[in-house]
Amino acid sequence: MTDAAPAATTSRNVVCPFCGLGCDDVALEVEGAKVTPVGGSCGKGAALFARSGAPAPDPRVNGREASLDEAIAAAAELLAEARSPVHAGLATDVDGVRAVLKLAARIGGSVDHHASEGLVRNLASSQRKGWIATTFAEVRNRCDVLVVVGPDPEKAFHRFYARVAPKTGRFFEGPRRVIFLGGAPAEGSLAQLEGSTVETVAVPEGGLVDALSRLAVLAAGGAPLKGEPDLAPLADTLKAAKYAVLAWSASSLDDDADLVIERAVAVVDALNVEGRAACLPLSGKDNLTGAYHATLWNVGFPLRVGFRGGVADHDQRAYATETAVKTADVVVWTQAFRPDAPPESEARLIALAHPDTEFEREPDVFIPVGQPGLDHAGLAFRADSVVGLPLGKHRDAGLPSVADVLARILERLP
Amino acid sequence: MSAVRIANGKVVDPANAETGVVRDVVIRDGRVVDAAASEGVSETIDAKGGVVMAGAIDIHSHIAGGKSNLARLLMVEEQRAIREPEGPFCGCGGGLGTMTAHAIGCRYVEMGYTAVFEPAVVAANARHMHAEMKDIPFLDTGGYLVLGNDDFLLDLIASGAGQSAVNDYVAWMLAATKTFAIKIVNPGGINAFKFNARKLDLDEKNPHYELTPRKILTTLIDAVTQLGLSHPIHLHGCNLGVPGNEDTTLATIAAAEGRPLHLTHVQFHSYGTEGDRRFSSGAAKIAEAVNKNPNITVDVGQVMFGQTVTASADFMSQYRNRGIASPKRWIGMDMEMDAACGVVPFAYKDKSFVNALQWAIGLELFLLIEDPWRVFLTTDHPNGAPFTTYPHLIRLLMDKAFRDEQFAKLPKAVRKHSIVGELAREYTLEEMAIVTRAAPAKILGFKDRGHLGAGAVGDAVIYAEASDYEAMFATPAYVLKNGEVIVKDGEIVGLAYGQTHQVAPDYDKGIETKLDRWFDEAVGYKASTFKLSDSEIRDGQGAVAHATMRAS
Repeated sequence: MTDAAPAATTSRNVVCPFCGLGCDDVALEVEGAKVTPVGGSCGKGAALFARSGAPAPDPRVNGREASLDEAIAAAAELLAEARSPVHAGLATDVDGVRAVLKLAARIGGSVDHHASEGLVRNLASSQRKGWIATTFAEVRNRCDVLVVVGPDPEKAFHRFYARVAPKTGRFFEGPRRVIFLGGAPAEGSLAQLEGSTVETVAVPEGGLVDALSRLAVLAAGGAPLKGEPDLAPLADTLKAAKYAVLAWSASSLDDDADLVIERAVAVVDALNVEGRAACLPLSGKDNLTGAYHATLWNVGFPLRVGFRGGVADHDQRAYATETAVKTADVVVWTQAFRPDAPPESEARLIALAHPDTEFEREPDVFIPVGQPGLDHAGLAFRADSVVGLPLGKHRDAGLPSVADVLARILERLP
Repeated sequence: MSAVRIANGKVVDPANAETGVVRDVVIRDGRVVDAAASEGVSETIDAKGGVVMAGAIDIHSHIAGGKSNLARLLMVEEQRAIREPEGPFCGCGGGLGTMTAHAIGCRYVEMGYTAVFEPAVVAANARHMHAEMKDIPFLDTGGYLVLGNDDFLLDLIASGAGQSAVNDYVAWMLAATKTFAIKIVNPGGINAFKFNARKLDLDEKNPHYELTPRKILTTLIDAVTQLGLSHPIHLHGCNLGVPGNEDTTLATIAAAEGRPLHLTHVQFHSYGTEGDRRFSSGAAKIAEAVNKNPNITVDVGQVMFGQTVTASADFMSQYRNRGIASPKRWIGMDMEMDAACGVVPFAYKDKSFVNALQWAIGLELFLLIEDPWRVFLTTDHPNGAPFTTYPHLIRLLMDKAFRDEQFAKLPKAVRKHSIVGELAREYTLEEMAIVTRAAPAKILGFKDRGHLGAGAVGDAVIYAEASDYEAMFATPAYVLKNGEVIVKDGEIVGLAYGQTHQVAPDYDKGIETKLDRWFDEAVGYKASTFKLSDSEIRDGQGAVAHATMRAS
């Protein structure tokens, strides 16, 4: 080691911002810009935290290296002329979301998060009818019967059972019962569920809505409706539970997700008349939950929103990125958490993106930004909506935050 | 140095025993200074014919946090109907009962309010609450931490850990969540609902911890006293909204045994069971008890007719109310071994016997409680009504003829069950300044707010005097925040941000070991993650920590 080499330090109890479970036991070894996860995180988190230590790329304008100032000026110039902008990605901390909303209020355009599909499916129930929901700590301690509705959330939330459903809980005796309804536990889940009682209730393909409908009838004390499988034993288990929880990952559900969620909510509603039960709707990758919250308290609507003449509107179809890019002239892509490519589009592209992003088409302006929770401090939200996660700064690689870049772009707008 | 002179206004400043004294008010560098001071005065506002008061303070208004967002989510029609464009000082968003953060600041300051306190910070949601409060302009804020249903506390009390352990925990939680006072919502009841109890009276035992609400309440009253917090326990009592809960409220007043206790939205806790509808006004009894017990303060939680949304940590009560949701949708949530929330949209109707009587009960309480220093003007925004109804409420209290006119519109059955028509009292300007300024400052422990004496913060309001008090209080001629003109003739002309008030009493560090283990094992993440740092409050700018005097 030479005198010039930076000393390696280890950051402990690092909060992981990626999937929304909010694990806070990650350890990172940091040596200059190089980051090596050395404990705590799951494989997916570790892969996203790891950085080679190579210097971050410079900003680019039309493919040519540029200073940050030049890139900001070029972005402002494009945005000043934009007639139909699309604000996409929105993968940033709460300050970054605030800045995107300010920009959109000024220049107009749609605002959507890249992972909002699951959120929108949940909103179809929560916004129109409401539900009874719960949070991780309540599930950990109170939930004696956990029903996993549909595909195993483990795919999107890697350490879900270890974090939320350890084998015993403070307020119930014996092992927790975890019942997979219409799905099966992944291998990684079974390891986490050791000590719990794991059961599977198979449902014919495409039959989850029907199964939940029949379960709701039984939970409400109605006469059983014909169908396979027989759900009376499950209904009895739920009615006898101290605190039954129905959990799902909306982004993992099939096309009938809206109905699956609506019926699961109905099951929980019926159970609460005599006993206690709650839903645990999961959706939260890349601070989706924080983007949803900050949009609600600043704009008054949940995602997805659109601005025209400084006035906001809410429409989940019209302002979906997928729809909006078709008529866009400028796309502003913000993705500070992972090197994901922006949506395909003919429009001009301003990318405030992860430094390792590989673009299929060179952006008109590319500004590499820092990751909240690594390059700068910030706020993200956990996937159960209530708990805010304080993200820390653990290295200095000279990368600006989304909020900083957008504030400077805003200053340059006429 | 810059100073502004408010010249020749009628100063109504009850904290300094001034009632309509014509004098100048000078604010220099954000603080009121001696009226004779002339140094640095660069601007003079002619307040002749106007009434000058300190900035108003709302001690109980739900302005931020998860439940406010759930309310916005459920009330999308209101958000669509009330939209405000981006402007030079506004990125308002919209809404009324469900106003966005920026709109909350605008609507409050336009009425002359410069400090508003969020009365229900659930600890697990504190980070969200503070992030949202940062986006509310113009107002100084602070939060009351919801305790009394948190499993750690109930376990401490039930296991006989002792008062000093409770005090340490309370102090640790206040510091961790950067909050200002302690609120109790349905003591032990929210927790009991998680164990499937559907009601919990003052002396009924929580099914798991076998603790009564009385025990939880008195333990936390002792904690507040011994930690030396300036604001007493801010209590949303048992049996909210239940006919006959006047008895619970009277028993709760007695349970305080002379120690300071604040009963919030007491209108919702002043119901009898007389009459053929088994729903009657308990206002006379409650007011009598308040009058006799100088340790008790109340805010009313006045109901006004119209659409609103009710948002409360009291999920036990809100579950009971779910059937009256209008529109027909509601959300409930159990939260983090901490508390819960229930959000139920509701429209108060003047043709409804119950709603109209609720309106009358609120007014009866205002008019029957004699000491204006112990009653505060609130609608429990948005639960009784949006705070934008305050000017109308002020006119109801100050103008008997107007009040009688409104009362006469109510159904006959309601008029038969209320004494509003018989009450001759009219609040004076001085009394109105007490219930909206001086008294809230006093009960919160602020020495430099709610008055216009030298040293006070430079928040001042000039009202053009008018016989229509609703118009007068709705659109002040001027509102100054820290000596800057923010509102002129009802229009916002400047942008400013306030500060967040908090307390951080000392605690024995021994409690940290216990909490570290509790967070690791029960909550499922680290106590160090849970604790907010100073940099999280308004980006490290604008937190005000108040000293507390801990009893040894």
